Amino acid sequence: MSAEALLQADAVSWVAGGKTILQPLDLEVRARECLAIIGPNGAGKTTLLRLLTGLLEPAHGEVRWDGRPLRELRRVDVARRMAYVPQVRPARVPLTVLEIVLLGRFPFQSRWRLAPAASDLEAAHAALERVGLEALSERVMDSLSGGERQGVYIAAALAQEAAVLVLDEPTTHLDPRHQVEIAGLLAALRAAGELTIVFTSHDLDLTSAVADRVLALREGESIALDDPRVVLQPETLHDIFGASFEILERAGRRRVLLEMEP
Amino acid sequence: MRRRRAGWLGLLVVVWIIALAAGLFVGAQHLAPADLFAGSSTARLIFFDLRLPRALLALLAGGALAVSGLSFQTLFRNPLAEPYTLGVAGGAALGAVLALQFSHGGSVLGFSFTAAASFAGAGCATALIIALARRGLSSGSLLLAGVALALSCSALILFVQYMADFSRSFRMVRWMMGGLAVVGYREVLWAMPWVLGGSAGLWLLRGELNQMLTGEELAASRGVQVDRLRMLALGLASSMVGALVAVTGPIGFVGLIVPHLMRRLVGQDHLVLVPACLLGGGAFLTFADVIARRVMAPAELPVGILTALLGGPFFLWLLARRS
Repeated sequence: MSAEALLQADAVSWVAGGKTILQPLDLEVRARECLAIIGPNGAGKTTLLRLLTGLLEPAHGEVRWDGRPLRELRRVDVARRMAYVPQVRPARVPLTVLEIVLLGRFPFQSRWRLAPAASDLEAAHAALERVGLEALSERVMDSLSGGERQGVYIAAALAQEAAVLVLDEPTTHLDPRHQVEIAGLLAALRAAGELTIVFTSHDLDLTSAVADRVLALREGESIALDDPRVVLQPETLHDIFGASFEILERAGRRRVLLEMEP
Repeated sequence: MRRRRAGWLGLLVVVWIIALAAGLFVGAQHLAPADLFAGSSTARLIFFDLRLPRALLALLAGGALAVSGLSFQTLFRNPLAEPYTLGVAGGAALGAVLALQFSHGGSVLGFSFTAAASFAGAGCATALIIALARRGLSSGSLLLAGVALALSCSALILFVQYMADFSRSFRMVRWMMGGLAVVGYREVLWAMPWVLGGSAGLWLLRGELNQMLTGEELAASRGVQVDRLRMLALGLASSMVGALVAVTGPIGFVGLIVPHLMRRLVGQDHLVLVPACLLGGGAFLTFADVIARRVMAPAELPVGILTALLGGPFFLWLLARRS
C-alpha cells in the first residue's frame, strides 16, 4: 500500500444471480485525487462505487479505509468518511432544499436532540453556498430543474463533511447548460484540493477536464487505469466502448469526439 | 418555520382535548359537567364506566392507526400504504375471526383468545411483508402484495363465517364492522402501553425515517441500516395495530387520511409528524365515533363503517392526484 492511499480495494469482486458483475479488481484511491470511472453500460461502474462506499459487501476481496477493513467500521463512521450522490433517486421529494441538505448531517446528529445544532445549519448553508444554490434554500425540491436538484444533492453530500465525495454519473440526464454547471462545480471542488472525488461518467469531456486518473471498466473488468491523456486515446477508447473517437486539441484542452457518421 | 410547527402541534393538543370533551359529553343521555358532582349515580355511571373508557380508547386507537399508517407510508415511500392496504389489519382480523369460531372464551396471559389471535395475525402478515421487502420488491409491488394478502384474508374470513353457526357468525360480523361500543378500562389499559410505547419508539427513529424520504440508497450511504430500520419500525407499527384491532375490530382508513392531513399541516419532519399523528388520529377517530353515535340516534353506527365510507373516496382522490 502506498502511503497516500486513502481507500483501497483488494481483489474486490461482485456476483449477482450467478453472474459475475465485477471481476476481482485492485484499486487505490489516493487522498485528494479526482478519479473518474468510465465504461459502457453494465460494465460495473455503479457496482464498484457501491462496493467502495460499503453499500455492498464484496463477494470476495476486501475494501479498506486507511488500511482498515471497511466492514469493521460502523455504517455511520463510514458515512463520516464518504458521502455518496447516487444517480437513481426518488422522483418526488416533498422537502425544501435546506431540509434535503440538512439530511446530509444525519451521521453527526444525536437521537436525543430535538432541533438541528448550529453546526448542522452552518454546514448546510456553507454547502449550499458552495454549489451556488443558497438563494433556493427555502424552495420546494419538486419545483427545481434537474440540474438544480443535482446541485442540491451534491450540497447535501458536502454538508456531510466527508473526506471522499462519490458521485454516480453526475451529469447524466442534464441539459447542456446544467452539464456545464455541474462540471464547473466538480472542477472547483477539485481545485480547492480538500476532497477526494470519485465519479462515474459517460461524459468523456468532463472526464478529460476534471479527472487526475481514469479507470476504464469493460464487462466487469478493469482494462486501463492511468492519466486521462493516456486512457482517452482513440485506440483505448475503441477497446473500451467499441466505437470510434477522435481527439481534438484546442486551446490547450482536449475534446473527445464520438464519430457518428454511418 | 419551527415556531409555526410548534404552533400547529399546540393547536392539535387543543383539538385533542375538545375531542375528548365531545366524546364525554355528547351522547344519547344528556350530561353536563355539573351532573358529575350533583347528579344521580346513573350520570356518574354513564360518564365513568361508559363514556370515559370509550373516549380514551378512541383517542388511543386513532393515534395508533395514524402513527402506524405514517410509518408504513414512509418506509415504503408510498402515500397509499397503511395497515389496511398492506394486509396487516386483514391478518389481525382473520386471527380474531378464527378465535371467535374456535375458542370457548379462554384467555392467554390475561387477555382473550380473540385479542391474542388478532395480535398473532398482524404479526404473521407483517412478517410476510418484511420477507417480501427483503427480496427487493418495489414499493408498488409490495402494495399489490398487501392488497392480495388483504383479499386472501377477507376470503378466509368469509369462509370461516360461512362455516360458523348463527350466533358466532353474528358476533364476527359485528366485530368486523369495527367499533368502540363495548369497552371498559381493561381494554384501555391493554392498548395504552402498545400505543405509547410504539409511538415513542417510532419517534426515536425519526432521523432514520426522515432519511428514507430521499430513498434507501442515500439513507444507507449516510449510515442508516435500512433492513434493521424496516424490521424495527414495521414491528412497532404492526404491534400497535395488532393490539388495537384486537379490541376494536378493524377500523379502516384512519391510517391513510390522518397522516396525509398532518403532513399538510406540519410538513415532513417525523420529529413533529409522529406526535401530530398521535394527537390528530386520536381526535379524528373520537369525532368520528361521536358522529357515528349521533347520526342514527338512538341506534349507534359502528365507527368502522363511517371511517371506511370516508376513506374509500379519499383513497381514490389520492390516487387521482398522484397521477
